Amino acid sequence: MNPEKAPIIQMKNIEKHFGSVIALAGVSLEVFPGECHCLLGDNGAGKSTFIKTMSGVHQPTHGEIYFEGKPMSFADPRDAISAGIATVHQHLAMIPLMSVSRNFFMGNEPVKKVGPLNFFDHDHANQVTMDEMRKMGINLRGPDQAVGTLSGGERQTVAIARAVHFGAKVLILDEPTSALGVRQTANVLATIDKVRKQGIAVVFITHNVRHALAVGDRFTVLNRGQTLGTAQRGQITPEELQDLMAGGQELVALEGSLGGTV
Amino acid sequence: MTSLTKKLALAAAVAAAPLMAATSASAEGEKYILVSHAPDSDSWWNTIKNGIALAGEQMGVEVEYRNPPTGDLADMARIIEQAAASGPNGIITTLADYDVLSGPIRSAADSGVDVIIMNTGTPDQAREVGALMYVGQPEYDAGYAAGLRAKGDGIGSFLCVNHYIVQPSSQERCQGFADGLGIDLGDQMIDAGQDPAEIKNRVLAYLSANPDTDAVLTLGPTSADPTILALEENGMAGDIYFGTFDLGGEIVKGIKAGVIQWGIDQQPFLQAYLPVVVMTNFHRYGVLPGNNINSGPGFVTADGLEKIEMFAGEYR
Amino acid sequence: MSNAPTENAVDERIKTRSRFREAMIRPELGGMVGTVAVFTFFLLFAFDSGMFNSQGIMNWSTVSAQFMIIAVGACLLMIAGEFDLSVGSMIGFAGMMVAIFSVTLGWPVWLAILLTFVMCIAIGALNGYIVIRTGLPSFIVTLAFLFILRGFAIFLPQVIERKTIIGGIKDVAEGDWLAPFFGGKILTGLFQWMGDAGVIAVFERGTRKGQPVVDGIPMLIIWAIVLIIFGHVLLTKTKFGNWIFAAGGDAEAARNSGVPVNKVKILMFMFTAFCATVFAVCQVMEFGSAGADRGLLKEFEAIIAVVIGGALLTGGYGSVLGAALGALIFGVVQQGLFFAGVESSLFRVFLGVILLGAVILNTYIRRIITGER
Repeated sequence: MNPEKAPIIQMKNIEKHFGSVIALAGVSLEVFPGECHCLLGDNGAGKSTFIKTMSGVHQPTHGEIYFEGKPMSFADPRDAISAGIATVHQHLAMIPLMSVSRNFFMGNEPVKKVGPLNFFDHDHANQVTMDEMRKMGINLRGPDQAVGTLSGGERQTVAIARAVHFGAKVLILDEPTSALGVRQTANVLATIDKVRKQGIAVVFITHNVRHALAVGDRFTVLNRGQTLGTAQRGQITPEELQDLMAGGQELVALEGSLGGTV
Repeated sequence: MTSLTKKLALAAAVAAAPLMAATSASAEGEKYILVSHAPDSDSWWNTIKNGIALAGEQMGVEVEYRNPPTGDLADMARIIEQAAASGPNGIITTLADYDVLSGPIRSAADSGVDVIIMNTGTPDQAREVGALMYVGQPEYDAGYAAGLRAKGDGIGSFLCVNHYIVQPSSQERCQGFADGLGIDLGDQMIDAGQDPAEIKNRVLAYLSANPDTDAVLTLGPTSADPTILALEENGMAGDIYFGTFDLGGEIVKGIKAGVIQWGIDQQPFLQAYLPVVVMTNFHRYGVLPGNNINSGPGFVTADGLEKIEMFAGEYR
Repeated sequence: MSNAPTENAVDERIKTRSRFREAMIRPELGGMVGTVAVFTFFLLFAFDSGMFNSQGIMNWSTVSAQFMIIAVGACLLMIAGEFDLSVGSMIGFAGMMVAIFSVTLGWPVWLAILLTFVMCIAIGALNGYIVIRTGLPSFIVTLAFLFILRGFAIFLPQVIERKTIIGGIKDVAEGDWLAPFFGGKILTGLFQWMGDAGVIAVFERGTRKGQPVVDGIPMLIIWAIVLIIFGHVLLTKTKFGNWIFAAGGDAEAARNSGVPVNKVKILMFMFTAFCATVFAVCQVMEFGSAGADRGLLKEFEAIIAVVIGGALLTGGYGSVLGAALGALIFGVVQQGLFFAGVESSLFRVFLGVILLGAVILNTYIRRIITGER
């Protein structure tokens, strides 16, 4: 942990009820700048609901969110985005038919004034896109290369680079590796590593323990709407994490090994 | 790129085949173009096509038939401009809407192409646009004559099945008929559309809503054929007074069977055939009839159907 | 795992392409190839037929310009992911409204034109609003308006004037300040000079003896050029253009990125309606009458031109320049077949062959560009 730093985002006792269904029953989480915080859990554990609450899609029924030390309530995703919380969805916000540079600046187009008219500043957009992609280790044929010609991993990388470029302080990655092959997964994990080193807080949602252990600094496991604890890197083995995700009987036995952080 | 060029070359070759056939088939001699306002779906114009083809063959001239595929008169204006640009000896055209067509027709006439107005339009309008003459059947007059005839047969109300509502001359036929009867047209004209099933159902609906209707007037085979079916279905066939404009295979059968009292034959064959003959002789020998030619109306009844039956839909 | 190679070199499976090929592969390529092919073809087979004299050129240019005007609107809307099948009916309806306002009601022509524009653009917005709010396919919504507008275009004049063609607009438009922007001609002096100089043919007889057979460039063509330039710049050079691509490419992804998709789509419906109204007003001012059957099937002709021009029917991909070339090909083929002396009923056969060929070629080009599979 980085005790010298304050958490950038704190979620305290978040509860979320959908009618009579309790999706989240008091989940707490802290994310620090520059760390990769892995959120693990089986399907239906409440991961999606939790990150949607974090990114402003849902409002919590109970509980508080502190962003940079101040209490925050996001009315909609736009609030969260403008505060610096960016989400890269499982289904990417990428349009295959459009060029990488057009995709990169979609919704945030740079504008160049010519007389009274505003034009899309293609030169600037192309320049920035090429630079950012090179930083992420992707060599584009050209900024006008269509996103459809990129591999799934490269697309994830473009989406991450875009979020970082537009000032994300917290980057939520929703199952970015779930549909990828081995090599592409490696590329995405490398990208996550780069982003973390830039001082950005990464929330990495996955149900693949090996992917989580590859880049994670801390690991929080969700099960049936509750957090089963947060573990630090090196304090937990893959097997333990796996069992934790499965939940159930081993819970008590595992509590000790979690280092009392529950 | 090589596969691209190959594809293109192939496409060009395929496209060129009928073209070359078409151009090589063109005869020596004068060239005349007939432009009609009828959409492709109007089968009545087949007689016109056969008429000019026969005239072209007999006179040894090149003839062409052109029409706007959807019946859009603005498109027809472009076709006339185009016909003029291709430099024929003469253009034979309908004058379906004076406002739209008078400009292009006058330009054609002024640029040295002789024009004959056929079928739709009036002798006055033909003179206005600088045409040599008018060959056809004045629509309002034909409707009026039919109205007078029906009045003599004791008709007091009717249904006009208009399958070509946007064509003003169609309405003139109905209006003339109403005026001939001496009654108000009012709601007695229905917009039947071009689809046979729709026409049939609209006629059925109108007649069941207005069972006292004395007579049905249809404006051509497009509306007459489904109307015959409608009358057979509701049992009014042979009972209700039924007159129609124009002739066609089914209409002739209807007249023979007594379902239809009379058909107004405007003799479209003459409207296509005569202009070609007149213009060819004018261009070859400088002779021109001194008057317009009325190709109709002729009333066709059950008497003397033989020739009509033989050539219905072809030359009649 | 975390030490995976990050400096991934250029993927060896992506073939490098020559600069020439790179420059050639554009959405407009199909349209350009088609244009060259069509002109080569007609220059070979119809050169002496009058197709390339002044009257002939003006004829196919005017027809192509008509297609271009509606194709620009249809193109942008299609790239934004929607269709408008009511374009043809809108043409009939708009023309009829101009005629009713100016001739029947006797209002000034400029007012009639402006009111018609306002009405039609509002109907376009309504089309878009219904599509957005209900989530129904625009195909169905605008199909409904195809019937509604055509119905009114027949019903209104019949009720008011007892006929389906209203004429006399030329007389009331005399001296109006706005009408010449649609029905007028420019460069008449130049054409008179060319006529006098013997460059173009002059009338041989009648009241206009001595005047050139083509006496100016109709405003219709000017409108087409202006709309193409506007559409092209909007699509490729502005922020809004990026939104159009995004809205049609994947509306959900675009929304996630903060693109106001609904606004973009509704504005494109309005622009399509604007283009249809320009078409209608030009036609009414040129011919002096409005007919209930004007514009029949024009929506399909617009869509065909756009597709020949390389746009993707499902949205997100296309080019205004391509659509303009598609309209040119369509117009030149439609008129040119006649000059070449082809039986007119074969027009549809040619149209079908060209459409199929263009779509196949464009799909091929698009796959190269976008890596679609």
